[in-house]
Amino acid sequence: MLKMNRRGVLKGALGASVLAASGHNASAQSGTRLRAYWWGNPERDRRTRAALDAYQNRSPGVQVSSESVGWGDYWTKLATQTAGGNPPDLIQMDYRYIYEYSRRGTLLALESQSKVLSLAGFSAGARDAGMVDGKLYGVTMGTNSKAMVYDTAMFEKVGVTRLDSSFTWEEMARIAAEISKVNPGKYWGTGDNSRWEQGFEHWLNQRGKLMYTADGKAAFSADDVTAWFDLWDKLRKSGACAPAEVAALNTGSIDQYEISRGTAAMSYANSNQIVAFQAIAKSKLGMSMFPQAKGMASGHYIKPAMLMSVSSRSRSQEEAAKLVNFMVNEAEGVKLLGIERGVPGAAAAQAALAPDLDDLGKAQVNYVAETAKVAVPIPPPPPKGAGEIEVLLRRVADSVAFGRASVKDGANQFHQEAVSVLARG
Amino acid sequence: MSPETVTTIKQSSRFWREDIHGYLFLLPWFAGLLIFTLGPTLVSLYLSFTKFDLLSPPRWAGIDNFTFMFTQDRRFTAALSVTFIYLIFEVPLKLAFALLVAVALDRSVRGGNLYRAIFYVPSLLGGSVAIAVLWRQLFQGDGTVNRIILSLTGIQGPSWISNPDTAVYTLVILAIWQFGSPMIIFLAGLRQIPKDLYEAAEIDGASKLRQFRSVTLPLLGPVIFFNLVLQTIEGFKAFTPAFIVSGGTGGPVDSTLFYTLYLYQEAFANFRMGYASALAWVLLVIIGFFTALSFASARYWVHYDDDRR
Repeated sequence: MLKMNRRGVLKGALGASVLAASGHNASAQSGTRLRAYWWGNPERDRRTRAALDAYQNRSPGVQVSSESVGWGDYWTKLATQTAGGNPPDLIQMDYRYIYEYSRRGTLLALESQSKVLSLAGFSAGARDAGMVDGKLYGVTMGTNSKAMVYDTAMFEKVGVTRLDSSFTWEEMARIAAEISKVNPGKYWGTGDNSRWEQGFEHWLNQRGKLMYTADGKAAFSADDVTAWFDLWDKLRKSGACAPAEVAALNTGSIDQYEISRGTAAMSYANSNQIVAFQAIAKSKLGMSMFPQAKGMASGHYIKPAMLMSVSSRSRSQEEAAKLVNFMVNEAEGVKLLGIERGVPGAAAAQAALAPDLDDLGKAQVNYVAETAKVAVPIPPPPPKGAGEIEVLLRRVADSVAFGRASVKDGANQFHQEAVSVLARG
Repeated sequence: MSPETVTTIKQSSRFWREDIHGYLFLLPWFAGLLIFTLGPTLVSLYLSFTKFDLLSPPRWAGIDNFTFMFTQDRRFTAALSVTFIYLIFEVPLKLAFALLVAVALDRSVRGGNLYRAIFYVPSLLGGSVAIAVLWRQLFQGDGTVNRIILSLTGIQGPSWISNPDTAVYTLVILAIWQFGSPMIIFLAGLRQIPKDLYEAAEIDGASKLRQFRSVTLPLLGPVIFFNLVLQTIEGFKAFTPAFIVSGGTGGPVDSTLFYTLYLYQEAFANFRMGYASALAWVLLVIIGFFTALSFASARYWVHYDDDRR
């Protein structure tokens, strides 16, 4: 007869937990488990999960679990998991962070997996974007460039049916001011781009300047910032640009942009994001380069919209590399992912996508191809602290927009604080 | 060895054997305390003297973090002032409101329990994303609040939530709206007040207001004090409302940059774990100081039943 006392119960519980633990291990060893992690939006999540499912179906014994969060939380979670020794196997990487992560040895140099992952069909630009110190740490999932997204219906209302690449700052100001007159006080011509780093960077690139030097210093001057703030101050005062209170509601996720909230006809983003913008927008969206300036560079460059990296701590590096190859080179994976992450780097992948592209997809491919013709070279990856400076710009630009600081004071403050953030590291 | 010592050892070993089960059952809690509370707390004390970005090992930095905080960091000062403005409005208003509702609910009305439950609901919702969306919807330029103001007064209000002059007050209102837990404590306190005191006051011709001032408030002193301390600490720790309503930035123009939100940004957005740990310890000292201040002031306004002074 079984005699139970407290000690017995304790022993039993201990034994059971040991059993449970070992049982767990046994099931894990029978197959390969991969964890994929990306930042995204509902459209990207749906497409990526479909691709992962397809890969699992044809690879018996492989299980891929996935996690997707917004851009804002993404890097927090990745850093904590990496520091905790538990990084995902497949890590979606950004050009902004690839130097930092690869130089600390957290990413796998993918040359070791050249048997299963080949970048032979990639354009040199798309391939090199994932190289750090001569080694490949990230595979370009798609290329994009900055793009202005606009509401075609509103543009037609003021008699603009087509924008070409010569769309200038002056034209933008004029059209925006006219659109603002359609529904005064409720709807404006353009969203406020003074507070977004990519707008300022484009303006600098247009003038042959950079945001950051290759050794991680601020490459812009306080005068540059003054000119930039002044440009938008005038647009705001003429009524062309949405006022501070409206702009401040934009927290940076696609559904919060002025064009998505239905408060302005132009917003400034990246070409691949048109898919996600259109998914929210009520009317048809168009895409154009950021406003141009006569006699200056386009200010646009082609960059990897996002890269895919493999963790150096992954226990199934080869399987992870195979999965990356599936996503960027094999027709099945490429088709499932579509063009949502940008235009694929491999020529064969582009060809596989071509027959299925809808108007939006064609417009995107076309846009990247056209922009490439006038593009400036890709700047060096931004230094550590660039993310903080991006937030700083929003803060200072807002205080100028709200009239709490003058254009000049705001510009000086931004320059000064940016320099000290970079110095602090 | 004397016979007495032998018995003591025997006794103590039996004592130990009998109690070992108790300690065993305590072990999970104790292990949890060590591993999840005390351990990390001590590690963060160490980290506050280092530079640590999560990916590379911490580097000793002496008191650099604290020097920077007190001499150069303008956002630290900004975060402190936002937090104090929030506290100054939130704590008294929330307590007053909770007390008001508690007094109203104290009378035995039909369905009293139902009302109590309903009034507690906002506190359960806490800082969820749904609340953030709701708050933005209520307080933006063309939001519900402004539509009501417009129809009542004909004046178009500002976008409360995205204006740096008003954003923090929308969070104060959010906090006041979640008055459930102090209300419950006040209700319990009100039940403790002997009814005959009110009867006596009524016979003496005291008005309801006078009864509230001379009977309810003094006798509720210890409960008010308890709630005050609790809400002050909670106020300093407030994080979620600002985080979700401002999308994690503390904007516009740092007007909702609560101290804890700044701490979070430094730790998890800017990856300065060392500096964030230093911020956490400074917050601990600040909370400790204000709690001590409350206790010191209590002897002048809180009276306990068993006071023999």
